[in-house]
Amino acid sequence: MNFTAVSIAMAPEHLLLAGIVTLLILEIAADDSPAALPLSVLFVAAAAGAAAWLGFTGWTGAPFPGQFVLTPPAAFAKAIVLALAVPVLLMSKDDFGRGAFYPLLLSSLYGVCLLASAESFLTLFLGIELMSIPVYVLVLMGFRRPESAEAALKYLVLSGTASAAFLMGASLMYGSTGSLSLASFGAALSSPDLLARTAVVMVMSAFFLKAAIVPFHGWAPDAYEAASVPSTAYMAVLVKAGVLVAAARVFGTAHVAEPLVGLLAILPLASMVWGNLAAMRQAGLRRMVAYSSIAHAGYLFFAFLGDGPGRFQAVVFYLAAYGVMNILAFAALPWHAQDQERDRLENLKGLFHTHPFAALLIGMAMLSLAGIPPFPGFVAKFLIFKNVMSAGYATWAVLGLVGSYLGIYFYLRVIQFMFMSPREAASGHAPSRGIAMGASLLCLAGSILVAVLPASFLARL
Amino acid sequence: MADATMLNVVLWLPFAGMLAIAVVPAGRDGFVRGLTFWTMVVQFFLAAMLYARFDPAAAGLQAATNVPWIADWGVSYAVGLDGYNILLVLLTAFLGPLVTAGAFSAITKQVKLFYAMVFLIQFAMLGTFLAQDLFLFYLFWEAMLIPMFLMIGIWGGERRIYATLKFFLYTAFGSILMLAAIIWLVWWQWKGTGALSFAFADLLKANVPVGAQFWLLGAFGISFAIKVPMVPLHTWLPDAHVEAPTAGSVILAGVLLKMGTYGFMKLGLPLFPDATRAAVPLLAALGTLSIVYGACLALVQTDIKKIIAYSSISHLGYVVLGLASLDLLGIQGAMMQMVSHGLVAAGLFLMVGMIYERCHTRELAAYGGLARVVPVYSVFFVILTLASVGLPTTSGFTGEFLVLMGAFNAAWKPAAVAIPIGAAVLAVTGVVLGALYMLWFAQRFLFGAERVPHGPVADLNLREKSILAILVAAVFWLGLFPDSAMKRTELAAREYQELVAGARAPAATKLTGAVPAEAAR
Repeated sequence: MNFTAVSIAMAPEHLLLAGIVTLLILEIAADDSPAALPLSVLFVAAAAGAAAWLGFTGWTGAPFPGQFVLTPPAAFAKAIVLALAVPVLLMSKDDFGRGAFYPLLLSSLYGVCLLASAESFLTLFLGIELMSIPVYVLVLMGFRRPESAEAALKYLVLSGTASAAFLMGASLMYGSTGSLSLASFGAALSSPDLLARTAVVMVMSAFFLKAAIVPFHGWAPDAYEAASVPSTAYMAVLVKAGVLVAAARVFGTAHVAEPLVGLLAILPLASMVWGNLAAMRQAGLRRMVAYSSIAHAGYLFFAFLGDGPGRFQAVVFYLAAYGVMNILAFAALPWHAQDQERDRLENLKGLFHTHPFAALLIGMAMLSLAGIPPFPGFVAKFLIFKNVMSAGYATWAVLGLVGSYLGIYFYLRVIQFMFMSPREAASGHAPSRGIAMGASLLCLAGSILVAVLPASFLARL
Repeated sequence: MADATMLNVVLWLPFAGMLAIAVVPAGRDGFVRGLTFWTMVVQFFLAAMLYARFDPAAAGLQAATNVPWIADWGVSYAVGLDGYNILLVLLTAFLGPLVTAGAFSAITKQVKLFYAMVFLIQFAMLGTFLAQDLFLFYLFWEAMLIPMFLMIGIWGGERRIYATLKFFLYTAFGSILMLAAIIWLVWWQWKGTGALSFAFADLLKANVPVGAQFWLLGAFGISFAIKVPMVPLHTWLPDAHVEAPTAGSVILAGVLLKMGTYGFMKLGLPLFPDATRAAVPLLAALGTLSIVYGACLALVQTDIKKIIAYSSISHLGYVVLGLASLDLLGIQGAMMQMVSHGLVAAGLFLMVGMIYERCHTRELAAYGGLARVVPVYSVFFVILTLASVGLPTTSGFTGEFLVLMGAFNAAWKPAAVAIPIGAAVLAVTGVVLGALYMLWFAQRFLFGAERVPHGPVADLNLREKSILAILVAAVFWLGLFPDSAMKRTELAAREYQELVAGARAPAATKLTGAVPAEAAR
């Protein structure tokens, strides 16, 4: 272990850690200081900058050999994830603004960063737990009614189950291969050994549970609905990103062999179909986003059908395009003193008349999430289905595309509410706050960048 | 200004216009209208200059731009003019200012958004015609959906939400199939050559196996057939037309429907020649079915907008029939018919909009004897009706006549594949039916006992007269002097014919000779 390697390769993590410590000291020294928000934005932005710098300089190294490795694509993945966290922090001003929200969120981010660099099941587990545990608290911090507690508990129990399944899988893997390295998973994928097979299925179901793939999706709508808007955005985007990046690390560039293809295709396909169908019937924005994120998890896992080398690129690019648009929608959502009212889709009616700019932004986000060109969501979806098709799974690709077609309607419904309904007198939207607008503008800039110059992203991942 | 620069200006001017509207402060509606109108006028003159400078004897792309965009995937920003799109680009640019001017009095709410959407759809339509890269084509193709969705949904009639969702979901379903086919096609091309490319020119050489051609043609074909629309995939059209605001109907009928037939001609059929040759009887049959079925439905409608909507289905059936004939006359006729229908249907929808603004009903039974009340209106209406029927000297005649010639040629002395003679004969009865429903419509509408809903109405004002006069002039220009247009499309028609009917080799290189004079005059 070499000191400079550790300090440089882990610079983003170190900056996050420094942020966590500073925020904790601040919390102790000055109860509920308003400085928590700007400080956390500063540290996260610095960490994102450090990760991007590591990526641009092409820094490669393994400060903890076999446990933690940094390559330029991993560094860029971290940079993207951390950059996505900045607007989430900004939009939290109205809901939290101070207090324990920030150290918790930064701790969870630390876990996400760890996942992008993990090279053994040990580090990976550490990252998953570090990412998830603060989120249970974040869900509860939106506590406004008894259901919040129930949802948080549900999430805790099911997520704990996933962790247990993951540990079980990892230990079986160790039993069959004698190694905890992630590379052993790739080998186990094509191994005829029953033990290794079981391990693969255990690990995969853990990922499915964490990413809310049908039939392991039951917790997501409740948890998303119970949490406050910034926490929901964090869960829908960053936690999902963490899980998918972890899955991409585990699968590496290994080829997915026959019996697993079915598992990897059918469950994600079911998620697309069920997520999109269920989303049509939701009356609340957060539940709709929850079901839509179930469908998106389906598209993301489809990427694993594709050939190994392009997999990480496809997943991270999709996460960037999906994340920036999802956060954009949440950030542009007009403020309402009553959280329940803010969530009701019906209350978006006539939004274009009262907040034209917010309506345009949300509309763009919806079209992008639906995968309508020329928005970035389309390019990302295109990349995934292109990879699936190139791997020779034309039928699955067509079925997946048809599944994604089902998702168009409920996104359009949001646009229909905002643009095609008369002004509702009772909706009573307060003017958007400046800082949330700043967050959405940041997302807008990011999404334009992704849409106009996808090549510059793809080349680096 | 170099041609390529000019073409890019034509394409991006509406986009710039949209951005400009975004920064205009609210409440300056008059300024927004003027800005849109004059931008469109400038765009039309630039497009007309490009048309004038277009060299009919040169094969391949003219005024082309090709800049790599997503290099990893072989996607480039490739646009250019050729015989396939030159007329349609001119038509789109020509209708732009007329649509804008036609909407001045009808659109009074959310004016900024409306003209921004007019700009956006203009941009997307031109982009679809000009794109020479499949990825770019698909982007523009889909981008057309959004402004039309909003146009129908915000400024439409009673059942606008239903109509606009139906329009969007119908079209998007076709697009999904096309997307799957695009991915497969590009993947196949990549497997053969080792280099990813979305360029039309590369994909035409992709040598797709015959079995796969059927699937791909099916996917592309359904997508294009929905857009045309061909019976039995036409049910979204009457709803969309009836509920859309006038400007939306005009754009829909004038340009958007041509996307489907243009897609067939430029991509769908030449990419998969073997499957196309096998599918020619089916295509011809569906084209004829659209002609006859559309005409029969138009005959029984009681809503004046629906009559014209169904007549569009009928008229676009000729285009499909012409393309399926694989006969030079038929193909040229199909191209003429596209432009002619664009002008005539646009004019008729504008006129329906004008009377609706005055009388607030589209019920045909409510009207009668308009000829005495609004004589100028009636004159224009009769002219457009006759053009729609295909009276010689109007553009409608050139198109329909050539298509029917082509169809009979292909049925009697087939060059490559015969189309059923029954289809050609039935298509002729379609002309009779067309005359029947349009003239009957005009008779009930303009003549007979005087019935004017909502009291005395004023005749056309100067703005409306000018719009219609310009349209009618274009209709006659195309009817009397089709030469100028037809010589520009001839090489493309030959190329299309050779790609589909001839050997598999791309034929562009063999076509550089002078244009023979045998094209129908």
